[in-house]
Amino acid sequence: MRRRTRALVMVAAVGLLAPLAACAAESGPPVLTWYINPDDGGQAEIARRCTDQAGGEYRLEVSVLPRDAASQREQLARRLAAKDTSIDLMSLDPPFIPELAEPGFLAPIPDDVAQRVSQDVVQGALDGATWGDKLVTVPFWANTQLLWYRKSVAQAAGLDPATAPVTWQQVMEASKSQDKYLSVQGAKAESLTVWINALVESAGGQILENPEAPADELTLGLDSDAGRAAAEIIGTIGKDDLAGPALPTEDENASMTIFQGDRGSFMVNWPFVWPATKAGVEDGAIEQSVLDDIGWALYPQVDEAQESRPPYGGINLGVGAFSRYVDQAFAAAECIVQPENQVYYFVENGNPPSNTTAFDDPQVIEAFPMAPVIRQSLEQAAPRPQTPYYNEVSSGLQETWHPPSSVNPDTTPQKSTDFITAVLRGDQLL
Amino acid sequence: MTSQATAPAAAEIRGTAGRSAKALRSDRARAEARLGWYLAGPAFVVMLAVTLYPILQAMYDSLFRYRLTAPDDRSFVGLANYGVVLSDAVWWQAFGVTVLITVITVAVELVLGFALALVMHRAIKRLRGLLRTAILVPYGIITVVSAFAWFYAFDINSGYVNTWFDWVPGIDENLNWFAEFGTAIFVIIASEIWKTTPFISLLLLAGLAQVPGELDEAAEVDGATWWQRLRRVTLPNMKAAIMVAVLFRALDAFRIFDNVFIMTNGSAGTTVLSLLAYRTSIGRLEIGLGSAISVLLFLAVIGICWIAIKLFKVDLAGARGES
Amino acid sequence: MSALTTRMKVAWAVITVLVLTYALFPVLSIMATSFKLPSELNTGTFLPSQWTWTNYNEILGPDGSARDLFLPALRNSIGISLIATAIAVVLATLAAYAIARLDFPGKRLILTTALGVSIFPVISIVTPLFNLWRNIGLYDTWAGLIIPYLSLTLPISIWTLAAFFRQIPWELEQAAQVDGATSWQAFRKAIVPLAAPGVFTTALIAFFIAWNDFVYGISLTSTSRARPVPAALAFFTGASQFEEPTGAISAAAVIVTIPVVILVLLFQRQIVAGLTQGAVKG
Repeated sequence: MRRRTRALVMVAAVGLLAPLAACAAESGPPVLTWYINPDDGGQAEIARRCTDQAGGEYRLEVSVLPRDAASQREQLARRLAAKDTSIDLMSLDPPFIPELAEPGFLAPIPDDVAQRVSQDVVQGALDGATWGDKLVTVPFWANTQLLWYRKSVAQAAGLDPATAPVTWQQVMEASKSQDKYLSVQGAKAESLTVWINALVESAGGQILENPEAPADELTLGLDSDAGRAAAEIIGTIGKDDLAGPALPTEDENASMTIFQGDRGSFMVNWPFVWPATKAGVEDGAIEQSVLDDIGWALYPQVDEAQESRPPYGGINLGVGAFSRYVDQAFAAAECIVQPENQVYYFVENGNPPSNTTAFDDPQVIEAFPMAPVIRQSLEQAAPRPQTPYYNEVSSGLQETWHPPSSVNPDTTPQKSTDFITAVLRGDQLL
Repeated sequence: MTSQATAPAAAEIRGTAGRSAKALRSDRARAEARLGWYLAGPAFVVMLAVTLYPILQAMYDSLFRYRLTAPDDRSFVGLANYGVVLSDAVWWQAFGVTVLITVITVAVELVLGFALALVMHRAIKRLRGLLRTAILVPYGIITVVSAFAWFYAFDINSGYVNTWFDWVPGIDENLNWFAEFGTAIFVIIASEIWKTTPFISLLLLAGLAQVPGELDEAAEVDGATWWQRLRRVTLPNMKAAIMVAVLFRALDAFRIFDNVFIMTNGSAGTTVLSLLAYRTSIGRLEIGLGSAISVLLFLAVIGICWIAIKLFKVDLAGARGES
Repeated sequence: MSALTTRMKVAWAVITVLVLTYALFPVLSIMATSFKLPSELNTGTFLPSQWTWTNYNEILGPDGSARDLFLPALRNSIGISLIATAIAVVLATLAAYAIARLDFPGKRLILTTALGVSIFPVISIVTPLFNLWRNIGLYDTWAGLIIPYLSLTLPISIWTLAAFFRQIPWELEQAAQVDGATSWQAFRKAIVPLAAPGVFTTALIAFFIAWNDFVYGISLTSTSRARPVPAALAFFTGASQFEEPTGAISAAAVIVTIPVVILVLLFQRQIVAGLTQGAVKG
C-alpha cells in the first residue's frame, strides 16, 4: 500500500510539473502517460512494476480519467481530436474503441505485437479489441456479468441454476413467487444498454445489423423477434414491479445493495459484487450468512434452446496515434497485459483477466471461486455494437427504453429504431 | 488617481491664459475621458474577450455539420442546424422544463427571500449576526456540493427522507424520487431554491433599507395593520429592487445546470437547455448542432432581458445607481 | 425600542430556529453521510450508527484512494480562485473608480457590458473556448481557467465596487491636500481606509463565485494539473468502478464547505453590505 501511495504521489507531482518533466525527460528515459479509468490502485501498481521491468527503456506514469465510461470517452476523444501528443497509452472501454479507431486516433498495432497479445485471449475480448478486421487495441482485462442468486430463495422456488442454465422467465417467476426483488440495472445509463444488448443477443438478434456502415446507412435489428423478446422481458420486469421501486434509477451498485438486503433474490451483475460483499462482511455491515447464501451461474437465457450471450465489458489498451513514443508504448502495453499482472489485477481489484492462462492461477481460484464460470461466460459473451456512432446508439436506446415500465414489445423496438435512425441522420437531437 | 485630482487645477490655469471656456471644457472632458478609459479599459477588454469571441465562434460553427471525431466530414449547411433544433420536440421539452424551473424557483424565492430579508432587516441586534451567517451559508456553498447533499438525502437507497416523511401521503419507503418527472423536478427545484434564495433575499434587503421609515411610522400611527403597511407602503417603495431581483434570478435560473447534471443527468424528462447543449457539443462531440443550441440559449437569455426591460420597465442602470 | 415582550421573544426564538434549520440542514445532512461506513450508506438513517473517519482517510490520509485526486484539486481550486479573484478585484477597482468618479463617454457601455457578461450562459461559450484553448495551449492549465473565471467575477466586482466608491466622500482627499499632504499621501491616508472594506468585500464575493464553478472546471481541464474540486468529485470511485463513492464525495464536500463557513462566520456583515450596496440603488 505504501509503495503504491508513493508511486501515486510521484505521478501527481509529475502531472503538476509536466512542462518541467518534459524537459527533464530529454536526458532520462521517455515518460509515458497512461490514461486510466479509476480503480482501486491496481493500474498504478502495474505501471510501477513495468517501469521497473523496462530497465530504463521507458517510465510509465498514470493519469486518472472520470468514473463513468461516457465521460472517459469525452475526455480522450476531445484530446485526441486535438492531436494531443501527451496521450501515450489509454485504458479504453471497448464500445468506444471504433469511434477512436475510425479517424485514426489509435496507432496501428505492429503485426508481431498483435500476434503475441492475442494468444490465449478469450473470444469476447478479442472481438472487443477489433475494428474492421484488425486488432486495434491490446486486450487487457475482460469483464462479464453472471447470474448471482441467493441459494435460499432459489431453493425455495425450486430452481437450481448451478446444475442447469436458467431462463429469464424462470428467474422472474421464481423471484415473484418468493415475493423478492430481482436485481437488474434499469437506470438511464450505460448499464441499461448493457442489459438490452445481452437480451437481444441472447435471443439471437443484434442491435445493429451492419455496425461498420457510415452513420446514415446503419440499420438497426431491434424491430425483430429478438428485439421484441428483449422488450418483453424488460417491460414485464418494469410493469409487474419485479425489481422493486428503485428500478428506474438502479445501477450496478444499487442492484448489489438490494441483492444483499432482505428482499434479494436473483441479480445480473459484474464480479465486483463478490469482493464488495466480502468487504461488507469484514466491516460488520453484512452478515456472514448472506455471503454464504450467494451462488453464481451463467447469465440467464432468453430462449431455453439457445445459449445466453452475457454482457462483455472490461478495458483494452490503446496507443495514441500522436504519441512521440509509439514503440515504447507498445512495449509497455505488452508488459501490462502479462498474465501475472492480470492475475494480480483480478485478485487485488476484482477485474477478471482476458488471458485464459491467468484463470488457472491458484490465487485466482482462492479469491474468486467463481472464476471458471467467469471464464466460460467470457467465451460466450457478446460485445455491444461496435460502431463509431456507439454514443448515439447507446444514448438513443436509453432514451427510448427508459423507464423499464414503459417498454412495450409491440411499440418500443419500432420506436427506438425510428428515433436512433433519425438521430444518426442528423435529423433529430438526442 | 493623482492626475485626475490635479488635472482640473492645471486646466484652470491654462484657461485663464486666454482660452475660451468651451475649449477648456472639452479639453478637460477629453483628459477625463482618456483617463476613464485607461482605468476601465482593461476590465472592459477582458470581459469582451472572454465572451464575445467565443459566442461569435459558436455562431460560425453553428453553420456547419461538424463532428469532432470526423474532422474531414465538415460541411457547410447554413441554418439547417437551427432547423433541426427548433423543429425537435427534445428542444421544446428542455425549453419547457427550463421555463418551469425558472418560474417556480423565482416565484418561491421571491416570497421566501422576502421573508428572510424581513427577518434580517428587523432582527434584534443580538440575533442579527447569527441569522445573517446562517442565511449566507447556502449562498457560499458550492452548487455541486449542495446537489450531492440533496441527492443523497432523497435517494431511495442512501436517503432518509422516505423514512422521515412516510406520514406524508404519497411518501413511503418505496418512493423513488428520481424515477418520475414530478418528484425529480421537485428535488431539483428545492435544491435550487435552497441555494439561491439568500442571494435574492439580500437584493430585497437592500430594497427594504430604502423604504423611508417615516412613511411606515406614519401609516402605523394612522392605524394601518401590518399587512396594509406592507402592501401600501413597503412593497410599492421596493418595486425597483424586486424587479431587479426577479430579473437577475430568472436569468440565473434559466442557466441551471449543476444540480440537474448531478442528480438526474436529464433522465425522467428533466433535461434542461444547458444540459442539452452540454450533451450535444461535449457528450456527442457534435460541434455544429451543439453550437446552434448554445446560440439559441444565448438568444433566449437576451430575449428574457429584453422583455423585462421593455415590458416591465426594469431600469437596470437606474437600479445600479446610474440615475 | 423598548424591552421585548415575552411574545416577541418567543417569536424570535421560533424564527431563529426555522432559519437555522433551513440554512444548515442540508449541510448537516451531507456531514452525517460523510461519517458513515461504506456499507452503512444504505440503511436509510440520518445519523451514522457508528461514526467513522474512513471517508476522510480516503481523501486525506496517506493511504487514501482518492487522495491523489482530491489534494491536487483542492490546491488547484484554492490557487485558481485566489488568482482569479485578485485579478478581478484589481481590474474592477480601476474600472469602478473611473465609473464612480469620472465622467466619460462609454461609461454606460461598460456597465451594460458588465451586465451582459454576467447573464451570459456559460455553457454557450465553453465549446469555443475549449477549441481555442487547445490551439493556444491553455487547455488544462491554471490560466485556462483563470481567464474564463474573470467573466464570472469581473462584472459583479465592478458593480459592487462602483457602488462602494460612489459613497466615499472624495472631498476628504482634497481636504487632506489642502492640509499639506501630497496627493499620494492624501489618497493613502484619506481614501484607502474608506475604500478598503469595499475592495475586501468584493474579493470575498468574487472568491465564492470562482470557488463555485463547475462547468468550466469539467470542460477545460483533463488532469490533476488544473482540475478544481467540483469537477474532481466526478472522478472519485469506490473500490471498483461500479461502486458509488458516496462516502468520499461527502467527505470532500464537507472539507470544501469548511472555508465557506469560516469566511461567512467572520465576514457576514461585510458580505451583506457588499451584496446589498452593489445591488440596488433607488
